[in-house]
Amino acid sequence: MENNTVEILLIEDNMNDAELTIRALRKGQINNHLIHLKNGVDALEFLFGTGKFEDRDSSHKPKLILLDLKMPKVDGLEVLKQIKANKLTKAIPVVILTSSKEHPDIERAYALGANSYIVKPVEFDEFTKAVTDLGFYWLLMNQHNV
Amino acid sequence: MGKKEKSNELFIEKEELTFQIEENRKRRKELIIANKELVLQNRERIKRAVEIVNSNKAVDVLEKRVKERTEDLESFSYSVSHDLRTPLRAINGYAKILEEDYGKVLDNEGKRLLGEVRSNAKKMGLLIDDLLTFSRLGRKEITKSLVDINKLVETVLIEMKQSTTHHAKIKFSYLLPAVADYNLMQQVFTNLLSNAIKYSSKNENPLIEIKSERKNGELIYSVSDNGVGFDMHYVDKLFGVFQRLHAEEEFSGTGVGLAIVKRIIRKHDGKVWAEGKEGQGATFYFSLADTAKKEK
Repeated sequence: MENNTVEILLIEDNMNDAELTIRALRKGQINNHLIHLKNGVDALEFLFGTGKFEDRDSSHKPKLILLDLKMPKVDGLEVLKQIKANKLTKAIPVVILTSSKEHPDIERAYALGANSYIVKPVEFDEFTKAVTDLGFYWLLMNQHNV
Repeated sequence: MGKKEKSNELFIEKEELTFQIEENRKRRKELIIANKELVLQNRERIKRAVEIVNSNKAVDVLEKRVKERTEDLESFSYSVSHDLRTPLRAINGYAKILEEDYGKVLDNEGKRLLGEVRSNAKKMGLLIDDLLTFSRLGRKEITKSLVDINKLVETVLIEMKQSTTHHAKIKFSYLLPAVADYNLMQQVFTNLLSNAIKYSSKNENPLIEIKSERKNGELIYSVSDNGVGFDMHYVDKLFGVFQRLHAEEEFSGTGVGLAIVKRIIRKHDGKVWAEGKEGQGATFYFSLADTAKKEK
């Protein structure tokens, strides 16, 4: 896997949700280079080129981060906080993709600088549509902060 | 003054003094009794004060326990919200993938079976959502204000038109304003109206009427439809959680809608009740305190 040309970073601890998300993106013709990391620690190491990803050129940043909230070790909100607090990474759009519809989570995510908050639908067709729509929006339509 | 007069005067004075001394003695006795009474009353008052302090302490303990239980419920709801939905999504998703990738190998029966798996997963998702709404209601603080019920019903109807297509005719004239929580009232009317629409949807000319009246110091609101109605025999079950009087195949639903209405109205210290006749429709009523009688 060529770590330097990753365009989508999917941070998701649940293997099923990850598989469904990736499949949904592909189904929506979104074939950008994607990397799936299972926890926040790996994700942060990837973004900053440290630890396991020491030899990655961290100047290359993904175009979109899909972030789940409830993850072991480093919680999703903590990952979000660190991404948005660092000059190198704060411009990357982060879309929270989570099961939680709870208001405190939504408020906290936006307060920490999330660009968007999507509740994963249970119904697969809806889920596919949600992921394709957001992929299309953030990768193609939205003008990135250069 | 002669000796005899002097002697009389002294005698009279002596009588007076004796009388006064007697009176003093009486007063003293009375004062002693009064004092004893006061001491007793004081003792009683002190007892009462101690009782009040003790029951205040008990109330504090109870309040603390209620707060803990509420926090337990909050985290329970959160778990339900997040943890149950995840495997449900997987069931739904993988069934769909199976359908898409292996559809050619499956016959119609196989596809139908998969469809059942998916629709049940979806149903479970709705159940979870409804249960959460129901439990959240129990913990919510209500914020009351004077609500224009006419405007509220119009808003609800507009929103419903956007999410469901129906051909029901909805009639209402002036509806009395009420002091209530706006959002919760919106939920009440949404649930009652969507029920009315649903259960009269098989009618050729579904007609729904919303009325209000002032009666016995209360405001009574009603939503009636000319739909399938229900058997009055089972009227007590209507407002129970997950209780349904119609088969899933006839009318879809989780059976929490009315339970939610009941919970909200109860929080407003009102009552809910219903009348119906099979094949002839139903009317759902709820009462709220009369605004005219509210003193702020």
